[in-house]
Amino acid sequence: MTSNRLTMPILRNMPAILFVLVFVLFSVLDERFFSLDNFSNIVETSAFVGLLAVGMTAVLLTGGIDLSVGATMYITAAVVGTLLQQDVNYIVAILAGIVAGTSWGFVNAFLIAKVGLVPFVATLATLTVGRGIGLLLTESRQFILPPVMAYAATDVFGIPLPVFVLAIVVVAAVLFLRYTAMGRQIYAMGNDIEAAKKAGLNVVRLTGSVYVISGFCASLAGVIAISQQGSISAGIGEGVEFRAIAAAVLGGTSLFGGIGNVFPGTVIGVLLVQMISTGLVYLQVDLYLQDMVAASVIFFAVLIDAQRMRILGRLERRNIRVEKGDTGPPKAKPAPAPS
Amino acid sequence: MTVATQTSGMDRAVSFGKRVLMSEYLILYLCIAMFVGLYLVSPTVATPRNISNLLSNMWPLLVIAIGQTFVLIIAGIDLSQGAVVSLTSVVGAAFIAQSAQPIVFSKSPLWDIMLFEDGAILHDSAFGIPVAIFAMLGVGLLIGAFNGIAVAFARIPPFMVTLVTSMFVGALAIYVVKTENIIDLPDAFSVISDDFAIPGLDGLEFFSIAMVIAISIAVVAHLVLSRSLFGRWLFSIGHSPRAALVSGVPVKKVIVATYMFSSVCAAAASIIYTARVDQGRPTLGAPLLLDIIAAVVIGGTSLFGGRGKIMWTVFGVVFLVLLGNALSLLNVPYFYVAIVKGSVILLAALLDVVRRRVALQQV
Amino acid sequence: MTDLILQFQGIEKAFFGVPVLQGIDLDVERGTTVGLVGENGAGKSTLMNILGGVVPPTTGQMLLDGKPYRPTDPREADDAGIAFIHQELNLFTNLSIAENFFISDFPTSGRLPLLNRRDLNRRAKEYLALVDLEVSPDMAVERLAPGERQLVEVAKALSTDAGIIIFDEPTTSLTARETERLFDLIGRLHDDGKTIIYISHILGDVLRLSDAVAVLRDGNLVATGARDEFTIDRMISSMVGRDIENLFPARTAAPTDDLMLEVRNLSKAGISHQIDIQLHKGEVLGVFGLMGSGRSELAEIIFGLEDFDEGEILIDGEVAKSLSPTSNIKGGMAFVTENRREEGLMMEATVSDNLSLAALPEYTSRWLKRVRSSPLAKSVRETVDILSIKVNDAFRNEAKGLSGGNQQKVVLGKWLMTEPSILIIDEPTRGVDVGAKYEIYEIIDQIAASGTAVLFISSEIEELTGMCDRIIVMGQGEVLGSFERADFDRESIIRTAFREYAA
Repeated sequence: MTSNRLTMPILRNMPAILFVLVFVLFSVLDERFFSLDNFSNIVETSAFVGLLAVGMTAVLLTGGIDLSVGATMYITAAVVGTLLQQDVNYIVAILAGIVAGTSWGFVNAFLIAKVGLVPFVATLATLTVGRGIGLLLTESRQFILPPVMAYAATDVFGIPLPVFVLAIVVVAAVLFLRYTAMGRQIYAMGNDIEAAKKAGLNVVRLTGSVYVISGFCASLAGVIAISQQGSISAGIGEGVEFRAIAAAVLGGTSLFGGIGNVFPGTVIGVLLVQMISTGLVYLQVDLYLQDMVAASVIFFAVLIDAQRMRILGRLERRNIRVEKGDTGPPKAKPAPAPS
Repeated sequence: MTVATQTSGMDRAVSFGKRVLMSEYLILYLCIAMFVGLYLVSPTVATPRNISNLLSNMWPLLVIAIGQTFVLIIAGIDLSQGAVVSLTSVVGAAFIAQSAQPIVFSKSPLWDIMLFEDGAILHDSAFGIPVAIFAMLGVGLLIGAFNGIAVAFARIPPFMVTLVTSMFVGALAIYVVKTENIIDLPDAFSVISDDFAIPGLDGLEFFSIAMVIAISIAVVAHLVLSRSLFGRWLFSIGHSPRAALVSGVPVKKVIVATYMFSSVCAAAASIIYTARVDQGRPTLGAPLLLDIIAAVVIGGTSLFGGRGKIMWTVFGVVFLVLLGNALSLLNVPYFYVAIVKGSVILLAALLDVVRRRVALQQV
Repeated sequence: MTDLILQFQGIEKAFFGVPVLQGIDLDVERGTTVGLVGENGAGKSTLMNILGGVVPPTTGQMLLDGKPYRPTDPREADDAGIAFIHQELNLFTNLSIAENFFISDFPTSGRLPLLNRRDLNRRAKEYLALVDLEVSPDMAVERLAPGERQLVEVAKALSTDAGIIIFDEPTTSLTARETERLFDLIGRLHDDGKTIIYISHILGDVLRLSDAVAVLRDGNLVATGARDEFTIDRMISSMVGRDIENLFPARTAAPTDDLMLEVRNLSKAGISHQIDIQLHKGEVLGVFGLMGSGRSELAEIIFGLEDFDEGEILIDGEVAKSLSPTSNIKGGMAFVTENRREEGLMMEATVSDNLSLAALPEYTSRWLKRVRSSPLAKSVRETVDILSIKVNDAFRNEAKGLSGGNQQKVVLGKWLMTEPSILIIDEPTRGVDVGAKYEIYEIIDQIAASGTAVLFISSEIEELTGMCDRIIVMGQGEVLGSFERADFDRESIIRTAFREYAA
């Protein structure tokens, strides 16, 4: 009991604690790490993972998962690239790409919320099919993007555009999740789906909505990522789902639903993930060792998450005895004297 | 009157549809239909050469899918099997390769430890191949034990555990050889997947050690599932882990054992695949994941646990192998292949959900 | 001139042909508090579920304000101004108090679909003021104590501006101070002219709060009247005063003096306190307790499903060391759980698979661990016959298709196949019709006659006095008293169980 009381605050503040630990660790290991340039670099390169992680957070809040975000990015990129090849105005092309990516989110929403498929299987399938569609659209050619697509390097109010977009999406997500009826109902559903049904919430609509949001966020991420890369290739978005899940879970969002927030949680998680990968690059760690470190980090995050759920479950259990030291067992006042 | 007869006609159609849907031979029928259809379009499918090719594609996939079947029966999933194939392929080859180019491998962490200029550490030992095989199975066992412990004791959702293991093990496989394939394996090893004819049956070169391995594993797995205590325990955990626990089933131990079995199957499949490509390839298992899950689920084993048979998995594997064969015989461009494979998983999951609903209605 | 807000007229309800309510006629006057009492299973919850729109009555009708009232779902009851405060809480623990109040119907401000948290919290604060709970409406429910959560639930019910409020055992998890607070609140609601139905096992509380009392027994309304007509004594005798017919088989064998199971000084923080139990071969030892008295938790500890802090458990004279269901079953223990659907059966597996699960290791060959299917099938068939389980094909039919009584027999059969020396049964006749009940009692008698020690947990006092050699009474995780068969007296047993409360 007492140990749980001590563990809970630590588990609750794990994102911040990890952030500081990792930061200090890398700063000690490599002095170049501790520099303003590096920080702005971390923030800027984390933009597209951040977008994915925001959508992933919404999905995880319902207890689901979206493995298809990378494929959604690729679909968006492929649509944008194909339209640009046909001399379509780049703004129209980008909008079309976002619509296409968001529709892919609708497909997930339909399969999971309406048909009732298990989220990880459904999104594993849409991941594969989505990649195929992307390859089909591009015929697996690589496009070099025209200069007009280099918007990722521009600044808005002195802030790099990718960071600006991420900031807007974070604010929108916070508003949605924290200040709208639907947002709160998503949390409620993630906490207890049976109680949510009893309270008359439309669980199909709520479940579906998060996959559409995730699809939208992934398509924005695709639009940012191609501009940063300057080209469209089949490798876009490969494996990013891991980084998005890692960022969300490291930020304190639970795989079991109902717990987590975009700000500060997921934002810290994104910075943490990016900091780790930048730090490993600084230390010139082998590329594949980096993946192994990333996997270990995710495992650590989900391990903590699972233990937190167990402790919470134990605390929720009702006590039969009100132990001494409390105000004593419930005792009624003596009844009025029977007549 | 007409309305009534129409509805009864409808009812009959519906009940026939349900019977077909619930039939455990549904996929077998589909396989036969696909084979016949394919034969009409492209008669090459029935040539001995193609059939031999089909079969040699089938054996390793069957071995690995049997492991997945066990995991699905306890309502789990193992997404790390592909990565286990990759890592064990490299591990096995690193014991027995006959030569290694310094220019290729000098940066590998295995260089001068297991890989040398004149070949791998056991390249000229009589025990080389047995040791390599045991090492592959042992690595599989360890990875499976990790998965099982994380699922049973740390209570992390199975898909998350095995996704992470897959990521780690897959990266490790590439890291130890720095993306290079270990080539030049001894003939005594690659013979595992070589086809040969039984004397007197000329022209039918269908037989291989791989076949013997796969069929033996399938028979043993079938007996375990249908006849043994362990098999009964698996189904009980898939039905209700709590009821199983209360009835004295050592639930946690069984879960760990199941994930270990799944990984060992992946390692055994890796032996066959590695022999076939004749090299230790760090990306060998990467494309397998979807095929495995699609094969098992489409065969009829449920993602929700408690239902599964080796026979069904055999059908599912035949289906997937035929499908792959059809796509290549018809020269379907490879981006369509991804779409088709993803759709097959969706179809399998959908079939699973529908079967479950029909079964629930029939009470 | 009486002003009736609610009338039950000839309400009957049967589940699967088993009557649980019979011809209930009850009038409730506007602005009064009615205390509803009865043993567990007397039909209180069913009656209230009918009122709350959770289940429809089989026959009979309700009048609300003189007009027919037929709710088809809980929302309609809501709209009709009937609020239900359940024993178990229905709160989203990850949300704030205010959000819980408005979760299905959030007020928004202006044209934007954004919540006006200030407004939300202001309104929530008003409701919290009604229950006198001085916490910020912004606080997450998970940070509240159980008693505070209960008050939040009450406030939520009040937020719908209901005219009739039902409290179902609201004080079970409250401390004395929290209980006082709730009673003050109920008093104020009463003064405001609300109609209240108060259900409780704590008879003193019922007398204190109610204007009128209604007593249910076996689905019948056996006594109603003004509070002044009742004493705790009269309530108890109305609750239990039933004629015993031939409901129980005669016991065929007497218990022995051989100690089979001994629990010494067993304690677990928050669950059990210094429990001593001795169970002999051939003995049926009853454990009586109200809901939440810790009886099922004790059984889970003995069976090894839960751990404990202090004390020891001795099986056949030896201290059991590592307790797990697996080792206990090997040692001859069996446990029919209270929760048949989740813990007792694999609903989607066949009857045969269910029956054989626990005994499987005994039908397994040493070498290769092969299940010897023909002796197993033979035992399964025998068990089906002996227990007369009604199933077409035990090897094909799934457990979920069976009636409650037959399902329970399957669970019993599963344990009989292990030939246990200690059998723990928890509420074996809940949701079982009368005929099957008698069969289950016969089975229990035969098991005991064969020398098995039986620990029989129940909240139905009748079946315990009918079947047991000895009864211990539990409450608050403690043993409150013990009765020998010669001294069985329903009133004094109930009095012991209620001791804590009736004062």
